[in-house]
Amino acid sequence: MSFYRYLAEGLFFGFIVCIFAGAFISLRARQLMNSVLGLAISLLGVAGLFYHLGSPFLALMELLINIGVVCVVIAFGIMVGPKPDQAAEKRPPPKRNRMLAAGACLAASALLLWTVLNTPWNPAIARIGDFTIRHLGESLLHQFCLPFELISILLLVAIIGALIIARIGRYGARE
Amino acid sequence: MQMMLLLPELTLCLMALVFFFCALGPCKTDTLNNLASGLSVLCLAAAVAGFNQEGMLFFQTYRVDLFSQLFKIILTLGLCLTIWSGPGLRGIEEQLRPEYYLFLAVATLGMTLLSSAHELLTILLSLEISAFALFAIIPFRHQTMRREHLEAAIKYFLFSAIATGLLLYGMSYVFGLGHSTLLGELAQTLPALMQNEPLAVVGMVMLLCGFFYKLALFPMHFLTPDVYEGSANETTSFIATLPKIAVIAIIIRLVSLVGAEAVSLTWILAVFAVMSMTIGNLCALVQNDLKRLLAYSSIAHAGYVTIGVLSVNQIGFAAAIYYMLGYLLMNLACFFVIYQLAAEGENLTFDHLHGLYRRAPLLACTLAAGAFGLTGIPPTIGFTGKFMVFTAALQRGHYTLVILAVINSAISAFYYLKLVRAAYRPMAESGESVTLSWSATSLGLFLLASIILAGILPQGIIALAQEAVNSMG
Repeated sequence: MSFYRYLAEGLFFGFIVCIFAGAFISLRARQLMNSVLGLAISLLGVAGLFYHLGSPFLALMELLINIGVVCVVIAFGIMVGPKPDQAAEKRPPPKRNRMLAAGACLAASALLLWTVLNTPWNPAIARIGDFTIRHLGESLLHQFCLPFELISILLLVAIIGALIIARIGRYGARE
Repeated sequence: MQMMLLLPELTLCLMALVFFFCALGPCKTDTLNNLASGLSVLCLAAAVAGFNQEGMLFFQTYRVDLFSQLFKIILTLGLCLTIWSGPGLRGIEEQLRPEYYLFLAVATLGMTLLSSAHELLTILLSLEISAFALFAIIPFRHQTMRREHLEAAIKYFLFSAIATGLLLYGMSYVFGLGHSTLLGELAQTLPALMQNEPLAVVGMVMLLCGFFYKLALFPMHFLTPDVYEGSANETTSFIATLPKIAVIAIIIRLVSLVGAEAVSLTWILAVFAVMSMTIGNLCALVQNDLKRLLAYSSIAHAGYVTIGVLSVNQIGFAAAIYYMLGYLLMNLACFFVIYQLAAEGENLTFDHLHGLYRRAPLLACTLAAGAFGLTGIPPTIGFTGKFMVFTAALQRGHYTLVILAVINSAISAFYYLKLVRAAYRPMAESGESVTLSWSATSLGLFLLASIILAGILPQGIIALAQEAVNSMG
């Protein structure tokens, strides 16, 4: 029994490492393409976490939509667009700023870690572990129908906005 | 009668739809302006008609009460005034004008949803709807202007993404501790958690920081001046006023949920308020661009209104609502003058104001009323608002805070009066006089009258605001 537990724990930390590695690659990349790959790796880790938490459906959706569609569309956009002449310029920030940023990040994470570790996380009394598609569908169209509908408005706004901003770029090029 | 509950939102949807269809084909600017002016008045009428509605919709996720309906009226009034004060959209690219109005309607829709949202996910999504619409309209500025609008747009977008990340992170803690996203259920667990668990305080502060970004309060204020400077004049007058009102509504809801016993949260908010006032006022002293100046002034005003919120009592919340109404009117008065003076939609500096009292006496007078109001000189609405906010804080015993705020008001007098002095300074050569259309004249008179009248006779508005706060329940 304990072997499986260790395996599960190992997998969990594996996914965490995957998320962080992806984020790091994405941040440090100097080519846009590598950034997208980093994002895909990071999302793969998130999908793994969903699986670990017992919802294979969400894990599959994460793979299908976020990696399969979003990342591929971004990659497609980059390939269709003009070829970048060179990698992004690397301008290291001044040393003082870097030290300040590192200090601020460390302080914030120390504060968060300390509070998270010192909190007794009471499990909810009636929290069902039912992550089946049926349950998800019911809560999306019943309890959370308003947020669900708002997402569609949000996507519509985002799409129209993106189209128009792309068009502004065209005008700029023509002038 | 469920339709009546959603009347303001549905009317805003209608406005968005109308402009969506306008965007499909060629449309004259005059037609668009008339449509926008008419539809915005219709939205205001719908909000007024839905004033007394009450109800809980969509499985406890959407709460319609006097509080939300009052905010919807203020929001649609703001939409009306911004559209009426910027006819012709001089600063906006010509092909993009229908879309511009479309996004204004959608942004206002997001804000009205935010004032009624009663569940964490709904709150997040409403905030994002208004934010996405605003990302889109900032780069609509005329291309012949400097290209700062693109910088402004990308900054607004990136920092908003960070703020949303922070907000979600905070929400995850609140959800983890409170086991619910419904504000109704959180109201039972959160007050005790805030006193016993430091993590609840951290989560709540992070959650609020996401909103502070829109309010331009201290830790999230840094990009405000760049965004205001880079956006077109009419866009800035929208961004500087309406989102802040909606955000104050949701901040009041969340803070009242936590309750007055959460002393640590009050302390943190007090520090933010003081920093915000001080930074805003000191930086505003050296500005020359009028929109940059108003940006720093809005950072300072975010601090003042937070003082009302952190009093966590009925008077404090009512004072904050009244203050935001005053802030809306006074800022729109200033932006109205800027828009009328900038014939090509350019950015103005103090030099552009010289001799204004001869060129356009009404504009000079409106600007003076706005500036006196923002300083807090009686009998304007700004004075009464500050007075109410400080009284609420004094009742809770925040003496140091009020003293610091009063010192800050004195500092702010310097740059606001600089505006008035520039407008009333005689010009060496006679400049061109500014001709105002009848609608601009009546709008100027309306702003002038409302700033003074609402300041002299605040009882009705404050009583209404107190009733609204009570209705939150």
